[in-house]
Amino acid sequence: MHIPDAFIPLTQAAVYWVIALVFIALSLRWARNEMREEKVPLVAVLAAGIFAIQAVNVPIPWGTSGHMMGAALAAIVLGSPFAAVFVLTLVLIVQGVLFGDGGITVMGANIINMGVVGGFVGFYSYKGLNAAIKNPYPAAFIAGWLSLVVAALVCAVEMAIAGTFPLELGLLSMGLYHAVIGVIEGGITAVALYLIYTARPDLLKSPAGVTA
Amino acid sequence: MDNKNLLYFGVIIALLIAVAAPFIASSNPDGLESAFFGIFGAKEIHGSELDEDAAGAAEEQVQEITGNSFSFGSPFPDYSIEGMEKAGEALAIAIGTLLVLGIALGLGRVFSRSD
Repeated sequence: MHIPDAFIPLTQAAVYWVIALVFIALSLRWARNEMREEKVPLVAVLAAGIFAIQAVNVPIPWGTSGHMMGAALAAIVLGSPFAAVFVLTLVLIVQGVLFGDGGITVMGANIINMGVVGGFVGFYSYKGLNAAIKNPYPAAFIAGWLSLVVAALVCAVEMAIAGTFPLELGLLSMGLYHAVIGVIEGGITAVALYLIYTARPDLLKSPAGVTA
Repeated sequence: MDNKNLLYFGVIIALLIAVAAPFIASSNPDGLESAFFGIFGAKEIHGSELDEDAAGAAEEQVQEITGNSFSFGSPFPDYSIEGMEKAGEALAIAIGTLLVLGIALGLGRVFSRSD
């Protein structure tokens, strides 16, 4: 879902950067207020793992592929949507600057889609679902799926504003592909949450995290 | 598992994924690229054939639409290292993984509270 530079006009790209910077500032405030010293290894391992897993493009039908985004996982495990913004911003900067994966002028839009939208949708849908069904793993699966699909639809709207995609066809094709890729997102989110919970139940704080 | 082991264990898993990625990853266009090629006539939305010429033309066309011709020469474009094939990609992704880890640990040291 990494938008390349050519897909968005510079003025619009600048607006996305401004919005992204507001959320980056808030994510740094999260880091200062909420990231305790004993949590730093988990944050770092999540960031490194999300960078690595984003390189694994899984084939889906229609000659297409997709990879996990990781924002829902970061937000759920670290207990805040701003944690996802923090982690995904770091991942996207390294991807864009070092590897040309995602544009530079449009990085603000990529941070909004994958970090902000992915993180907030993932976090709050997980919280709501977990409270409703009292089982963290299906809740994490659905939250992961939803986070990716909504991020893709927001991306389609940005493409429509940019004049790159017609709105309806953009929403339809982005929705179709990412509804399938979302199964990967949901699956890995649920499995990773289980593994982290098994290794370190203390690190997942309630009520956002898992309650046994 | 204490913090140190969590870190080591997590890093090993991340590096295993990083090194395996180029060998197991699909080189098909991703969801956004596929939608783009579909909308610009280089590929059917539900089809799997990509018309390379039309794909190239689409990339020029979109630049004319948005007027954004910014280009940036990243040191390892598409996770590749010049002159090295898959091994180079594995190395590039592993370097990226360790870099993200290092920056996150550094930022964590700066920002975290020790209570």
